Amino acid sequence: MSRLLIAGTKEQMGAVIAELYRHRLFHIEDFVGQEEYSGFRLGMPLEGATEASNDLITIRAATNAFGIQGDGTPRGRPISAAELRRQIQTELPGLDAQADELVTRRTRLETRAKDLETRIAEIEPFAALGIDLDLYRGYESIAVLAGHIPADVAIAAPHEKVFSSGKRGGFIAVFTPVTERDAVERQLLDAGFVAARIPDETGSPADAIARYRAELESIGKEIEGINRQLANLKEIHASFLLAADELLTAEVEQAEAPLRFAVTDLAFVAEGWVPTSEVPTVREALERVTNGRIHIEELEVDYDHEVVPVEYNNPSFAHPTELFMDVYSRPNYREIDPTLLVSIVFPIFFGIILGDVGYGLVLLALSFLARRFFGSEGWTLLLDNLRNASVSSIIFGLVYSEFFGFALPWRPLVFSRHLNIGGEAHGHGPDAASMLIIAIWIGILHITLGRVISIVNHSRMSHGSHRTKAIIAQTGWLAFMWGLLIVIWSIFPIPFMPDLTKLGGVVALGLGPAGIAGIVLILYGVIAIAQENALEVVELPTIVSHVLSYARLVAVGLSSVAIAMVVNYIALGMFINPSLENLTPVGIVLIVVGIVVLLFGHVLNTALGILGGGLHSIRLHYVEFFTKFYKGGGLKYHPFGMKRLYTTEE
Amino acid sequence: MVDVGTAVMTVEMIQASQVGLKAVGAGLAVGLTGVGTGLAEMGIGAAAVGATAENRDMFGLALIFTVIPETIVIFGLVVALLLLF
Repeated sequence: MSRLLIAGTKEQMGAVIAELYRHRLFHIEDFVGQEEYSGFRLGMPLEGATEASNDLITIRAATNAFGIQGDGTPRGRPISAAELRRQIQTELPGLDAQADELVTRRTRLETRAKDLETRIAEIEPFAALGIDLDLYRGYESIAVLAGHIPADVAIAAPHEKVFSSGKRGGFIAVFTPVTERDAVERQLLDAGFVAARIPDETGSPADAIARYRAELESIGKEIEGINRQLANLKEIHASFLLAADELLTAEVEQAEAPLRFAVTDLAFVAEGWVPTSEVPTVREALERVTNGRIHIEELEVDYDHEVVPVEYNNPSFAHPTELFMDVYSRPNYREIDPTLLVSIVFPIFFGIILGDVGYGLVLLALSFLARRFFGSEGWTLLLDNLRNASVSSIIFGLVYSEFFGFALPWRPLVFSRHLNIGGEAHGHGPDAASMLIIAIWIGILHITLGRVISIVNHSRMSHGSHRTKAIIAQTGWLAFMWGLLIVIWSIFPIPFMPDLTKLGGVVALGLGPAGIAGIVLILYGVIAIAQENALEVVELPTIVSHVLSYARLVAVGLSSVAIAMVVNYIALGMFINPSLENLTPVGIVLIVVGIVVLLFGHVLNTALGILGGGLHSIRLHYVEFFTKFYKGGGLKYHPFGMKRLYTTEE
Repeated sequence: MVDVGTAVMTVEMIQASQVGLKAVGAGLAVGLTGVGTGLAEMGIGAAAVGATAENRDMFGLALIFTVIPETIVIFGLVVALLLLF
């Protein structure tokens, strides 16, 4: 990144802004009244900013009313800005009024429908009592109490009552002389009475309900009609509205750019970042539009202390993985960008966990199908990652010889993950212990790599005595880990790991020469870590837990195989196969049940596979790998400009 | 000779009960560590959802925080696998 300073007269400002916007290369550094800019002030928006903003608000309102969502994919041919501007002048006011009117009407109808529903709910209990609604009101000497009550109740006072029992308790109406009202009410309340409002209606309750239901139905139809109209308008105008939104957003952004510049009465100064390779492009373009009447200067940059915007520079293969990096944190400008590494290791981890040809194919199909529904940039990247991961899953499935938990017609090439589940158990079961050791090896190497990258980062980024200290501390972490390993190897012989138990005799403390060397390494490690920061010594146990954490590569994978095999055994071994041997009507039902179990089980396991494979793989990177070296916190390179999808340049 | 009234334990029976106890141990290893992870993730998860509701950008970080205690149950799973196979 290079830091550019652009200065010119105010007449040039509009042209310069438009040109910068078109190229989408200039990351503007906001003017915040820095000291060296005394005498400058913030710029004012260009002419036409207010009108464009107002139009934009109108368009956004219409877009909301129609429920249009730009999914980031262009629809049809982009239209030219001039053509669109004319359309905005002629069509927008009418369209907006139309949308507004329809939405207002719909809101009014919906309010009315809510009101009717409340009324119906109010009248409904009275319908069961069978008394006309006007008989509940208008007495001078009689009080009426109506409401819900769990069960009929005997009242010790002069009264007349009607009761109806329903599924959820009964409903009661009591007519009593006004003088007895309090006594009756108390007795009712004791029996769990909850008073209901007496509806303000006349005639039979059933008639009233029927009347309201009819009205509700016609309102429903009307709302449906309005929705259809809105859908029609959406169909016709969606591309216009999205294009207009884009055009006006671009206009407003350009018009408001001077708010980020420093200006005087006659001149303006803009500072910002441009990728170093693109500096000549920007310089030439600006000199062309201003006929050379502009001053462009490349400023000195202190990359260690200034906040430099960061843009990824990865091969296209690693591009989707940038999503995972941004979720964690964008790399710092000076540190090693581990994106490429993650983009290679992540699918491998995924494959080790979910190594199954069947699930791999399902996920591969899913990663292509889902693109139709999720077109946005983030989703595309995520689905690209899923595609890579599922390819790796298929490859590891071939190695493990697995297809939806069944064995493929060959023996597993390296390690077997086939469990002995069900009656057909044969073979010696999974090589769990061997695979766990391999997983630990992966962990040891991955973490060692992380520490080595950390050493490189520190040698690049740190300065003075801190640099030496930090590098020594990193070697200390490495020495501690490998020292611990050597001590363990010199005590226990472990398959797939070096056996140091037979090396030489006992030297001291019951340990052989290798063990002593390990102890020396451990001691060096502790001292090396402590000389940078003594508190870090508390973190030493994480060396063990982080390495062991890689055991999840095997453990999660085996549990997913176990689920698949159990589902197969329940569906085939317990339901389908026994029924097929002796076909009866009950047997057919059992076969259907078996198929349902099979489908449901494998759908569930596929979902668990994505979660297990994806989440655990990325977590190993985030928690175990990145914590060793990765700082992050880089500022996202956000060039001034826009990717035009619906419109063309003027 | 075996005393009258004492249950006879053959070698096969002892082996069978050992297999059974191993399975019980494996079950306890996964179950108890699962409870532990659940307890740990309970607080983190609630806070993570709250933070994400306040600021959508927190989602990634919140997810990471939430899955950190997952390690405990993975250790349980590993122990269970080592017991069984």
